[in-house]
Amino acid sequence: MILRRDIFQAIADPTRRAILALLASQTITAGAIADNFDGARSTISKHIQILTECGLVESNQKGREIYYQIKMDKMTEIDLWLDQIRLIWEARFDSLDNYVTKIQNDRNYGKDRNPRDADNQNV
Amino acid sequence: MEKTETREMRITRTFKAPVELIWEVWTDPEHIINWWGPNGFTSTIHKMDFKEDGEWNLTLHGPDGTDYPNKSIYKEIIPFKKIVFEHFNPHFFTTVLFESKGEETQIDWTMLFDTAEIRETVIKVHKADEGLKQNVEKLEEYLSGLPG
Repeated sequence: MILRRDIFQAIADPTRRAILALLASQTITAGAIADNFDGARSTISKHIQILTECGLVESNQKGREIYYQIKMDKMTEIDLWLDQIRLIWEARFDSLDNYVTKIQNDRNYGKDRNPRDADNQNV
Repeated sequence: MEKTETREMRITRTFKAPVELIWEVWTDPEHIINWWGPNGFTSTIHKMDFKEDGEWNLTLHGPDGTDYPNKSIYKEIIPFKKIVFEHFNPHFFTTVLFESKGEETQIDWTMLFDTAEIRETVIKVHKADEGLKQNVEKLEEYLSGLPG
């Protein structure tokens, strides 16, 4: 798995996350995006540029206007990260499985040898 | 319409052990240190106040000597049925359901993440890596430090 640092930096910024949230449901112009924020248009424009450079957003010229839309395939890199977490949990479950088997074997072994001792150990 | 941005992860597994034993190894710190830290990790439990609103603090010790402190709060406990805890930094909720199936026990494990938080975490990991060659192994080591 390759995690590209620039992508995660891009979405570290709350304004950029808000822009992505806007674009999640619609394809709109830079002006329409800026209308949703208090900041200067140039600031919003810079944010859009960063998102575009990171490949999270792409632009399409339609007539005189440039429309922006989200690129979902890039967003799925987040899912790859979650997959890593899943692997860790699977490994932890394996570990639990082994441990529980070991305990049961130990206790059964103890019972075979000396039931009274085994009972004490189980308390 | 406000929508909280979350991701859910769910894992189900059946263990060949009665629910009493599974519950025991989940709730007794003497047991949990034996299996909680996977793949070369060991754990030290500083506090395990196993009751609702009780705190659970542990440190995972990585194979390279790095320590990963973890803090959770137990939110809900129903003996032999359910454990819910909230983990901090990164923030997520874990719900563990225990279902007795005779000599076997099914565990249904769900983690609910705040995705913005996940991203922040990823960024922190990468910042910590600055100056070093970035590699997945390092990230995996870090992730191993996340409890559930």
